[in-house]
Amino acid sequence: MACPSNDQLLQLETTCGSLLYELQIIWDEVGESDTERDKMLLELEQECLEVYRRKVDQANRCRAQLRRAIADSEAELAAICSAMGEPPVHTRQSNQRAGSLKEELESITPQLEEMRKKKVERLNQFIEVIEQIRKISLEIMPSGCNPLKLAVDESDLSTRRLEDLYRQLELLQKEKSDRLKQVMDHLSSLNALCSVLGVDFKETLREIHPSLDDAEVSKCVSNATIERLATAIGRLREIKIERMKKLQDLASTMLELWNLMDTPIEEQQLFQNVTCNIAASEQEITEANTLSVDLLNYVEAEVLRLEHLKVRKMKELVLKKKTELEELQRRVHLVAEAENQEEFAISAIESGAIDATLILEQIEFQIATVKEEAFSRKDILERVEKWFGACQEEAWLEEYNRDENRYNAGRGAHLSLKRAEKARALVNKIPAIVETLAAKITQWEKERGIEFTYDGVHLLSMLEEYTIVRQEKEHERKRQRDQKRLQGQLIAEQEALYGSKPSPSKSQSAKKIPRTSAGCPSRRLSGATQPLKLDQLHSAKPVRSAKKTDDLGILSPGAKGADIAGLPVKKLTYNAMTTHQEVGMPRKPFAPILPVNNMPSTPSKHIVSTFEENKSPNVMLTPKNPMAAQAPMQVANTPVPPTCLFDQAVAKVVAPAEQTEDSFEERRLAFYLSR
Amino acid sequence: MSAATLPATGGRELSNPPSDGISNLRFSNHSDLLLVSSWDRSLRLYDAGADALKGEFAHAGPVLDCCFHDDSSGFSACSDHMVRRFVFGSGKEDILGRHDAPVRCVEYSYATGQVITGSWDKTLKCWDPRGASGPDHALVGTYPQPERVYSLSLVGHRLVVATAGRHVNVYDLRNMSQPEQRRESSLKYQTRCVRCYPNGTGFALSSVEGRVAMEFFDLSEAAQAKKYAFKCHRKSEAGRDTVYPVNAIAFHPIYGTFATGGCDGYVNVWDGNNKKRLYQYSKYPTSIAALSFSRDGRQLAVASSYTFEEGDISHEPDTIFVRNFAGRTQLRSSCLLLRFRFVLDV
Repeated sequence: MACPSNDQLLQLETTCGSLLYELQIIWDEVGESDTERDKMLLELEQECLEVYRRKVDQANRCRAQLRRAIADSEAELAAICSAMGEPPVHTRQSNQRAGSLKEELESITPQLEEMRKKKVERLNQFIEVIEQIRKISLEIMPSGCNPLKLAVDESDLSTRRLEDLYRQLELLQKEKSDRLKQVMDHLSSLNALCSVLGVDFKETLREIHPSLDDAEVSKCVSNATIERLATAIGRLREIKIERMKKLQDLASTMLELWNLMDTPIEEQQLFQNVTCNIAASEQEITEANTLSVDLLNYVEAEVLRLEHLKVRKMKELVLKKKTELEELQRRVHLVAEAENQEEFAISAIESGAIDATLILEQIEFQIATVKEEAFSRKDILERVEKWFGACQEEAWLEEYNRDENRYNAGRGAHLSLKRAEKARALVNKIPAIVETLAAKITQWEKERGIEFTYDGVHLLSMLEEYTIVRQEKEHERKRQRDQKRLQGQLIAEQEALYGSKPSPSKSQSAKKIPRTSAGCPSRRLSGATQPLKLDQLHSAKPVRSAKKTDDLGILSPGAKGADIAGLPVKKLTYNAMTTHQEVGMPRKPFAPILPVNNMPSTPSKHIVSTFEENKSPNVMLTPKNPMAAQAPMQVANTPVPPTCLFDQAVAKVVAPAEQTEDSFEERRLAFYLSR
Repeated sequence: MSAATLPATGGRELSNPPSDGISNLRFSNHSDLLLVSSWDRSLRLYDAGADALKGEFAHAGPVLDCCFHDDSSGFSACSDHMVRRFVFGSGKEDILGRHDAPVRCVEYSYATGQVITGSWDKTLKCWDPRGASGPDHALVGTYPQPERVYSLSLVGHRLVVATAGRHVNVYDLRNMSQPEQRRESSLKYQTRCVRCYPNGTGFALSSVEGRVAMEFFDLSEAAQAKKYAFKCHRKSEAGRDTVYPVNAIAFHPIYGTFATGGCDGYVNVWDGNNKKRLYQYSKYPTSIAALSFSRDGRQLAVASSYTFEEGDISHEPDTIFVRNFAGRTQLRSSCLLLRFRFVLDV
């Protein structure tokens, strides 16, 4: 404490003195007692003392404050230093020399300030590092982050700790980058797989973790994510392998089918991208969409189409072969097997129940068998043709013989004559032909142990029947010749009863005893139409020399075959029963038709009912009876004595009931079915 | 015969005719639809007015006859022994029933709502087309015939059946247990076709021998005195007659006149009451297999198709002609102009 300056003290003393002098004066004036005066002076002293005391206290307090401040600062500084791991900057001892308290404080304060700044800086660093660590830890292990561990420990702000933390951060950063790399690797394999399989890559990523697809956000690298990526990759790889196998199977099936069906190159090239991978391993397949669902479906559909095509072609082939077989059989007059078999085979192929190749083999075998049989049958078949030819000629000859005009010198008459000659010779040979044919057939049958069938009919039986029929005809002819004589007598009687009769034309009646040939070998089959029958029909047409219009004129060829009698037409023999029919009486032309009972009948429309059926219509054409003379139609004037008619009529009545003729539709159907 | 032959073409030829013989053709009772059955195993439906093929229905074998139910469905008689019904629009077919042999004729009776079929198995069968499941549920009855059925015709409640062996049975559809009449054809040769008169008093029969008989149901003396037969479809050359089967008869629904078609390729139109031939159309390429008048009688469908009378020979292609039929006034004037020829066969 510096003493006040002398001047000031002097001044003060002066002032005090003057004040005291003044006081004395006042007291003197007042007349204050000495005690009073002393008392006042004492008070004055005391009061002054008080003031001094107060001032001193204040100064004391100041001094204590300073000391305290210094101590505080020193403590803080020490604390900071220790926290920061640095040697204490300021010690008391060193500062005692510094001087006064104020000086000391002055020197310690800036140091403190500095240290405080440093501490704050250090703390900030720590906070930063720890923040980063926390961030990365969160990224790596979102659930495993322990906030307590990452609190800043203010007691340890040393550089060593800071470096520790830095190192920790580095490790974490490295781990993160490793993981990121792993994720990126996974992403690239996933991308490759998705591209091959035609799966949406971005969608897949988003399913695993949204951040993976987002370019803005850094990718999640948690364990869970990486695991999920790995699983996804595994799954897709499995799918890829599965599809690859399937595609390769399909491709090899396709190649087989192409090979089988000779598919053109252009079609095959459409699937180049598929077949090139047929032997690839999983790794080799890397092109986009080579294993997509669409592609697989496409290829599958194509394979299905090819297989259907194959079945169709097989069917066609089978049908073709079948027709070939049938054709072969038809040519050698072997009856084909039931149609049901064919339909059965087709439906079986379609349903896949039976391998078409098997059926083909069967048919091929059958074809070979038939060919072999054909060879053995050739000779006999040729002879049969010869026999048919002979019968045909025989039939023609009969027609020819009935033709009245045959000796007229018309066009072609000489040709007919020649033909007739040849025909007669041929006819005589018929028995011989038949015999040798029968012998050959018997031999064949013996060698083979089975019957020789011709269009399903036992040929030998056919021949036997034919022979029998022929013999019967011969008998018939003889009989008629005898009966003609009888008729001659009857006519004479009738003449006596009914008046004149037209003169008989003997030539016709004599020769025209129905020498219907056996026609054609009667067939038990209804289906066989022999061309020679038609021949007969045609040749029968121009036979008569009619002088008048007669409703017994020539029937149109079609009409002849059906339920006709009284006309010298070969009846078409479509069933075995018709053998008797042929004996049926071609009616002599221009002959009046008499009723059996020889009565002049009123034109009775119902006379037909007296006879069994229309096999004897010749008798029923009563209106033609010239004796009744009532027929409105013009009747011939040169009729033949009805002797033969009578015979025929009698014979007719005697004949057993026969079947009626077929209609055109029945014949047509029979022909249709035999084709 | 110098009956006038009406000039011009045989009529409009329909496109897409069947590829094989035509067994029968029919006009519908309600429109110009024409149903055609054929040996090419198809049943075809044409719109005759528009010359369009509206439908084709395949069968397993030749189709021998067909008839309409109404404009939306019809029936077929097939050689595979089946009787079928077809719904034209949808092509749906179901089997009404079967015979034991090819079915030759099929008719639908509007009076009883039944389908009647005649077959070569010597039976007549009646079917109810509304009969539900299974063919045999549709069968109403089987009626044995003396022989194979060749032709059928219906009018009102009467049914006439012509069979092989020249039998003719007349039935009353209301009582099929027994034929009303058992007759024999008055023609001496195989029956080709039988058709009832639209007025229901009798029927016409044709045979293979170029003859047609006109018969009556009423068995009284007076009615039977009116019956007669006549020759037709014959050709006379050099004094010789060639005689042709008469395959088809068709009655005009209004006038009662009728047309006949034969294997000679001609169609003749007759007035049965006056016993006159009205006219003859110009010759068609081949035999006339079938004839049918439209419901108003203004059109006549002619099937020119070889009927196998001479077996398997080459022939003109099968065609269908639809010609306009003369109106009444025209008919009358042609009668006056024509000489008529009509030979009676007593």
